[in-house]
Amino acid sequence: MNCVDGPLQTGTESKKITPGNWCLFPLLLCCCILFSVPVSAGSTQDDFEFNPDVYEKKRLQWGGYVEGKLEHFSYNENSALYFLKFPDGDRTTLDRITGTLQLDGSYSLERTSFNWLLKGAANQDQRRYDDRADIFGAYLRLRPTDTLTIEAGKQSYKWGTGYAWNPAGFLNRRKDPNDPNEDLEGYTTVETSYIRSFGAAIESMAVSVSVLPVWQGVNEDFGRMETINLAAKLYLLVKNTDIDFIYFTGKSRSSRYGLDFAANLATNFAIHGEFAYVPHADRMVLEKDGSLTLQPSSTTSYLLGLRYLSEQNITTILEYYHNDAGYTEEEMNRYYELIDDAREEKRQTTATLLLEKALHAGQSGYGSFQTGRDYGYARVTWKEPFDIVYFTPGVTGIINLDDKSWTLTPELLYTGLSNWQLRLRYSWLNGTHDSEYGEKANENKIELRIRYFF
Amino acid sequence: MKNRLLYWFVVFFVAMIPENAPAIDGDELLRQVDANLQPDSYEMYRKLINIEPDGKKKEFVFYTVKKGKEKMVALFLSPASEKGRVSLRLGDNMWLYIPNVGRPIRITSLQSVVGGVFNNSDILRLDYHVEYDVNTITDKGETWALELKAKTRSVAYDRLKMTVDKKTVQPLDIECIASSGMLIKTLHYRDIKEFDDGIIRPARLMTDSPLHKGYRSVMIFAKMKKRKFDDEIFTLEFIPRVDELR
Repeated sequence: MNCVDGPLQTGTESKKITPGNWCLFPLLLCCCILFSVPVSAGSTQDDFEFNPDVYEKKRLQWGGYVEGKLEHFSYNENSALYFLKFPDGDRTTLDRITGTLQLDGSYSLERTSFNWLLKGAANQDQRRYDDRADIFGAYLRLRPTDTLTIEAGKQSYKWGTGYAWNPAGFLNRRKDPNDPNEDLEGYTTVETSYIRSFGAAIESMAVSVSVLPVWQGVNEDFGRMETINLAAKLYLLVKNTDIDFIYFTGKSRSSRYGLDFAANLATNFAIHGEFAYVPHADRMVLEKDGSLTLQPSSTTSYLLGLRYLSEQNITTILEYYHNDAGYTEEEMNRYYELIDDAREEKRQTTATLLLEKALHAGQSGYGSFQTGRDYGYARVTWKEPFDIVYFTPGVTGIINLDDKSWTLTPELLYTGLSNWQLRLRYSWLNGTHDSEYGEKANENKIELRIRYFF
Repeated sequence: MKNRLLYWFVVFFVAMIPENAPAIDGDELLRQVDANLQPDSYEMYRKLINIEPDGKKKEFVFYTVKKGKEKMVALFLSPASEKGRVSLRLGDNMWLYIPNVGRPIRITSLQSVVGGVFNNSDILRLDYHVEYDVNTITDKGETWALELKAKTRSVAYDRLKMTVDKKTVQPLDIECIASSGMLIKTLHYRDIKEFDDGIIRPARLMTDSPLHKGYRSVMIFAKMKKRKFDDEIFTLEFIPRVDELR
């Protein structure tokens, strides 16, 4: 999920492309895009006709996008995670081209609808080709009244108010803070929601109850198998503040309690926050002797954030995230030391015992996305600077506040051509030895993404 | 029909006012302007066109429903890149829902979800009398000039200078002014026509701004008709299902 990380290398044989051929890909893609830009996007005809009948609802509705993405990764060959990915150290850069097709739609009949979200992607780098197709969502929605909704099937959950992280999003997939607006695969659930509006101090409320089974072939990656989990959310709009109380119980993951809020304090200033408490959270921790042990603990995670719009149309989002379930600096150092020892072992012998141990630790929690305890997030976007309409430059920064390592991602976004979105990004990772971003596999990445919506 | 009767009643009432009549109630006049612009509860389709100095255009189409003084929802129908997005307004609170992406996020009235000259408070506009008091009213012959002052600081524009046509009791031009005194934009209502259910109001709203020289935005109204809605339609939980109202 980390867009600043390169892909994991597997041992599968792949088609080879010569460097000469590789260089043609970006050129060809740019030519395709430029020559396929529709003339209507820049129409100068000065008529203001509007025929609303064209937009009348149809039973079958569908849409989606096609996307072309070019990425160039520069690896940090001295980093710990580089060694885990490429133990033979045979790679310094990665150039990858990815094509993606996403289809969404619905078929509606009175108060019933079937909705879907499908995604397929294929990518090719200098060595290998990969493709995959996923059903991100496919669910039936029944709405017997305006206040009651029943949904059954696979759908994505988006609980919580945080932009980069959602500690209270107990049914959410973990999003990429560098790209938090990307679609995420759902879980298969049955959910019932009930809404009431009061028009008093509590303006409205909604109760949602979700049943999430974990069986063979159903939500297998959620947690412990052969059980049924239950999650509930109570939403209240109190005065001008959104408040959610969230509860999860089940055997796949331990029970947990959450709370979130969001409020506008002024026409250009909003605040938000989340809180999560897990009374019994087990963590796999690397001991001094290199063994992995399960440590029972209770964890408290929280997030505080704000969003501010300046007179110059600059939007600033700031967040602070504390995650008790993350690893301390000392625990992470132990992990990096194990990888260093594995690297030394490989250099001097043919044994791979320590490498396997490090890989196992990675799979047990150390290798997951943003494993630290305290983070800061900042995203600043400037909409239409200097009267350049539909142009939005921005920069996103994430800092691990414990080890002071960070990543910075400036970007340029242009949406001036109808249904086209062009985005150019550069990600720069920086940190000392034994720090989170200093030990990532890559030290920078450049990405050009072009999307056409239909 | 009721709205039409009200319209003719107001026209008659205004025509009968002698030139030396005592000052009329500004707040009452503003309520009449609001009543003429939009019924209490309705649905409609809108096209919003952003026009650049070189004539290039970008268009958006919304399906909009409104109930009472402070509940409003706008669903994007076009272009494809925005389709399915929903903006919800409950009084001073505004949210934007982007399908498949995340829960509705709070947005602010001065932001613009469509770019161009219109901001969120223009697209999800409440009745003027809900957000403004009439400070002064001046008889200008065929029009009245109203100076409006925002009731709270959470309103997007601190002051409005509204020109109201006496014959139709419809707004013609509105200057939107910040608390600093700076003119942010001017709105021009044009093309009065009859919609369903006897609603008679301008079918176009045009705007320009000294802050975006050469840029214009136009909003075209269509298929406005009265319709009753449950309050529950205007909640965060219902936002993903707004399309089912059509």
